[in-house]
Amino acid sequence: MAEINKVAVIGAGVMGAGIAAHVANAGVPVILLDIVPKDAADRSAVAKGAIERLLKADPAPFMSKAAARLVTPGNVEDDLGLLADCDLIIEAIVERLDLKQSLYAKIDAVRKDGSIVSSNTSTIPLAALVGGLPERFAGDFLITHFFNPPRYMRLLEVVAGAATRPEAVATVSQFADHRLGKGVVRCKDRPGFIANRLGVTWLQAAVVEAFDRAIDIEDADAIIGRPMGIPKTGVFGLLDLVGLDLMPHVNASLAGSLPAGDMFHDLYRPAPLIEKMIAEGYTGRKGKGGFYRLNRAEGKAKEAIDLTTGAYRPQKKADVEAVKEAGRSLGKLFEHDSAAGRYAWAVMGRTLAYAALLVGDAADEIEAIDEAMRLGYNWKKGPFELIDDLGVAWFVAALERSGLPVAPILTAAAGRPFYRVVEGRREVLRLDGGYAELVRPDGVLMLADVKLTAKPVLKNGSASLWDIGDGVACFEFTSKMNSLDPDTIDLLQKSIRKVAKEFKALVIYNEGSQFSVGANLGLALFAANIAAFAEIENLIASGQAVYKALKYAKFPVVGAPSGMALGGGCEILLHCSAIQAHAETYVGLVEVGVGLIPGWGGCKEMLARWQSLGRLPNGPMPPVIKAFETISTATVAKSAAEAKELLFLRPSDGITMNRYRLLADAKAKALSLVEGYQPPAPPTFRLPGPSAKVGMDMAVDGFRRLGKATAYDAVVSSALAVVLSGGDTDVIAELSEDDVLELERTAFAGLVKSAGTLDRIEHMLMTGKPLRN
Amino acid sequence: MPIYKAPLRDMRFVLYELHGGEAMTELPGFEDFGRDLVEPVLDEAAKLCEQVLFPLNRSGDEEGCTLANGVVSTPKGFKEAYDRFRDGGWTSISCDPAWGGQGFPNVVSTLVEEMICSANLSFGMYPGLSHGAYNALARHGTEALKEKWLPKLVAGEWAGTMCLTEPHCGTDLGLIRTRAEPKDDGSWAVTGTKIFISAGDHDLTDNILHLVLARTPGAPKGIKGISLFLVPKYAVGDDGAVGGPNGVTCGSIEHKMGIKASSTCVMNFDGATGWLIGERHKGMRAMFTMMNTARLGVAIQGLGIAEVSYQNAVAYARDRIQGRSLSGTKAPDKAADPILVHPDVRRMLLTQRAYTEGCRALAAGIARELDVSQRHPDPKVRQAAEDYVALMTPIAKAMMTDLGSEVANLGVQVYGGHGFIREWGQEQYVRDARITQIYEGTNGVQALDLVGRKMPADAGRALRRFFHPVQAFIEAKVEDERLGVFVQPLAKAFVRLQQATAQVARAGLARPDEAGAAATDYLKLFGLTALAHQWARMAEVAYARLDADGPDTFYEAKIATARFFMDRLLPESSARFSAVMAGGRSIMEFPDDAF
Repeated sequence: MAEINKVAVIGAGVMGAGIAAHVANAGVPVILLDIVPKDAADRSAVAKGAIERLLKADPAPFMSKAAARLVTPGNVEDDLGLLADCDLIIEAIVERLDLKQSLYAKIDAVRKDGSIVSSNTSTIPLAALVGGLPERFAGDFLITHFFNPPRYMRLLEVVAGAATRPEAVATVSQFADHRLGKGVVRCKDRPGFIANRLGVTWLQAAVVEAFDRAIDIEDADAIIGRPMGIPKTGVFGLLDLVGLDLMPHVNASLAGSLPAGDMFHDLYRPAPLIEKMIAEGYTGRKGKGGFYRLNRAEGKAKEAIDLTTGAYRPQKKADVEAVKEAGRSLGKLFEHDSAAGRYAWAVMGRTLAYAALLVGDAADEIEAIDEAMRLGYNWKKGPFELIDDLGVAWFVAALERSGLPVAPILTAAAGRPFYRVVEGRREVLRLDGGYAELVRPDGVLMLADVKLTAKPVLKNGSASLWDIGDGVACFEFTSKMNSLDPDTIDLLQKSIRKVAKEFKALVIYNEGSQFSVGANLGLALFAANIAAFAEIENLIASGQAVYKALKYAKFPVVGAPSGMALGGGCEILLHCSAIQAHAETYVGLVEVGVGLIPGWGGCKEMLARWQSLGRLPNGPMPPVIKAFETISTATVAKSAAEAKELLFLRPSDGITMNRYRLLADAKAKALSLVEGYQPPAPPTFRLPGPSAKVGMDMAVDGFRRLGKATAYDAVVSSALAVVLSGGDTDVIAELSEDDVLELERTAFAGLVKSAGTLDRIEHMLMTGKPLRN
Repeated sequence: MPIYKAPLRDMRFVLYELHGGEAMTELPGFEDFGRDLVEPVLDEAAKLCEQVLFPLNRSGDEEGCTLANGVVSTPKGFKEAYDRFRDGGWTSISCDPAWGGQGFPNVVSTLVEEMICSANLSFGMYPGLSHGAYNALARHGTEALKEKWLPKLVAGEWAGTMCLTEPHCGTDLGLIRTRAEPKDDGSWAVTGTKIFISAGDHDLTDNILHLVLARTPGAPKGIKGISLFLVPKYAVGDDGAVGGPNGVTCGSIEHKMGIKASSTCVMNFDGATGWLIGERHKGMRAMFTMMNTARLGVAIQGLGIAEVSYQNAVAYARDRIQGRSLSGTKAPDKAADPILVHPDVRRMLLTQRAYTEGCRALAAGIARELDVSQRHPDPKVRQAAEDYVALMTPIAKAMMTDLGSEVANLGVQVYGGHGFIREWGQEQYVRDARITQIYEGTNGVQALDLVGRKMPADAGRALRRFFHPVQAFIEAKVEDERLGVFVQPLAKAFVRLQQATAQVARAGLARPDEAGAAATDYLKLFGLTALAHQWARMAEVAYARLDADGPDTFYEAKIATARFFMDRLLPESSARFSAVMAGGRSIMEFPDDAF
């Protein structure tokens, strides 16, 4: 299979620029071209401007500054020659067939043999795009449909034409999977492919039904949201996010291209209120507001639009009886005898019926449709998983009662589920009524699959230990948000003993959306509130001891985070032999935000890292200053790449782009360390002592005078400075790890008794935001 | 003949020596309430209670209230006593000066309330209910409503009630059926039946203002659909003149175990004109804002009964001679020794005394924080004080009324057979005290409020207001040579309370029944620890006074009582702790059919 080592993206709009940034995130050089603006001094100003915007955008399209340097801007008139050595050329220009085709001709003239051309079109059929173009081009051409923003949305829809070389498809898929970290879903050359065709139909159904039934938008979002595993933005919140003005285009395109008789046409009709909103600039969050807005004239009052009158009114807290009564049962919600229950079914009954109709049309495999909705719309469950929850028989009966079409795949199911597990094998229904085994691609190992057949080796209320084969164990956090509590520490201690006896290596990994948000603050605050300080100190001491035992275990330990790894969740990683991190990992020691300092060895490990890996000037001060800067500002790395810059990760630690590949990569890394594994030698510290502490205090004082630090920031920073400077020591004395750990404990114990700290923890728990006291 | 002397010495101790009452004048609005103003008021209250209210206690109990021809009459002498009470300004003591009140601090009016409850609990019900109505109206009523009704309520010319309970619902007020229909002029027509209405009807005042919970048309089901209305017994013209009947009648009066001189009525509202207090559907919120004060008021009732029962028991034990001391004759000139010499009688008296004085200290401390929560200029300090009051209110209500009953029962026991005889007066206290454990939220409901609401709220923030000061006190004093004997048992109970708190919070999170099953024992453990803290502090103050001023039997008795509490009463905390830690299985797994 050919390798893709250089990429070009043509079209530096939101999508093109975002795709280029993400290719750069993969460490692949990328050319970004756009047109030459009229009378411009700089003929590449469009592409250069796009890169500028990328660097400022939030959330950041680049994972690191180094990635930004891999993007070379240019223009399509002077720089087409740069395409000559590109392996993949992605077109992301305006959705006009004539412009695309004339560009393709130019591309074809300069590109090398075997290079691949793809379009990011979302509306033009592949057959039309290659119409009239040479055979060589058609053979190398396919559609790669990215979702916005390309770094963060994991779905990539790939459409191949009849003439497309299978090897070209395989090469691009491999690249997208391994290097870009995308979930590749193969779609047929049908309008809207899968995700947008189904997603837009769903949105349209939710909007039209809400208008017809005069449902308050807060209620609509509460109904068509959490209860079905859909993000809490629901429908109207999501439209505000993507932009209301996008909808008419997408709707018109689908309406224009889908055949007569397609269910979408039933839902396609003008919405005067939305048109008026767009005309007046209420295009959503990017505009003056959308269905929801912050009324700044009223002191940032949260307001919501009334679908009937079109007037804004104060936003209310959704309080939907049907949702509360239904609990976890989607069927109960759909059957609930209330406006909310009828709305839920009107929207989702139609959406799910439509999803079933797409089988054989947009894609042959139901798992492709499920994956598209999970990765493209962030649904927790795909439509067929939702139908399985409802029960196929119940669903078919409900469709018939409502006069909705029953798709062939539903008939083929004959009351059986879409997915089933037979002797530990996952199987999926096919259109012929048979089941096919769902096999993970090579290099994909999911803990969820392990759980289908295995029982945990150890388990309590907050964590589990699993056998993931080949002598490797996996330690999994299982608490809410994977917060850490005494049970976690307890099971980790037991796991270390167990792994030492029965396994070769340990991986710390889980499949929650966050690796760990750190210590359970609710428990900590409760303990502090009842003055159970001795218990808190015990928990700190036992956490330090267990993390240390992890570090010096005689087997290798690989931490495999994805998502947030904060506070204690960061500290556990700092004690691992090696890390294999998902690229989207957000690591940080954020304790100061709640008025504390890292107490589970975080200060000690950061000192040790800056000391040994920091490439800093000589002397005791530079590592101390670096650790102080990172911890006192609660700096969080916004990617695994950035985590390396901040030394939360070592240069030797691995990064996995594809979330699905993380556990297998981590396991492989662990096994690679087994042979001849030696625990690390304990570091020693020469720290500068009280004079350095005074220096750090003065620096914070300066920030305070500038209004950048608060009074209590100074208190917490000062406690941190004592630890990092080594307490009452001087450079001549050599401190051990235990000495620094004791300083951590003392500082932590002092802070946790302070009212300022308790106020911060309480505020964080109640509002989710740090208190600036 | 029963006796009552207001415990002014101990009240001064609690107010000024224990809780630093002189600092009260630092709170805005309390500048005038120095000792020179407060102490004469307490003296006057004592006189009124001892000389006017107390003599009517027994007779009122014997006679009870009567309903004839739709008119409720209070026992003989009550009307005259009420007139003196009102003319003395006692109905307005803690009311807002804006409405003609005297604006006294809660900590002072709490002590006055205790005296009233000791002297004549039934009598105290009438002004007590008026004060509850005053609180609700003053906090939630419109200006127009307040201007029309508050001045006369404050002046005691009119009385008030709280109409919550209906025949089919008491604790669960979501089931209320009384309804209010809107009228064209903005008022409401209220129709329904309320029961157990204390002071529902009587002959003490010209008018009675009923605060009635009712449901409006189309209101949401349950507790969220209830609104609060002001419904007067008689219409009142714009000139303030009392007019004709308003469709409010007393259907009957209850025949009760105790507080017989307090009229407890079935009230019928038949299209009676009323006015909305606060927002529609927010009636329960309006009720909740005054719940703390009302519940503290009931806690004080328990304390008042305990005090008077103890005083009589002591008098009887000195007087009554029976048997000889186990350690040899003590009163050779008499046929037998006074029963005061017998260890078990002493145990009973000291139990009464230690609980009574401990509860007084605790209650005054809570009242002091209530003042801080209402008056302090710093919102953070106000919040902290409010947290403390919210946390301690269910504990005070349940523990102090349970102890009121327990102490009253011990009082009967000290009297022996005479305790069972009406004319001695001791059995009345047992009967009167019993209702305090039930109304204003049963003590079981108080315990649930503690573990289900106060404890988990804001990750236990309210708990901090108790645990942190006590922890700091223990740390500071545990090695003190003299105080160690008091602080060490406190520290033991405190650790048990911490463990039990963590256990109840943890178990309750997973299974609410676990918290429910632990609630009553947990509340008692908490209450005993709080009393132990008060006793250790009282011992500290007493030692300091003895050091400064030389021997004084008052302080010596304080220290001796503190020692008794630590030795003989606090150990119950260990049993309560064991019960909490045992969990709720034996309660919840018992088959329903086997009961």
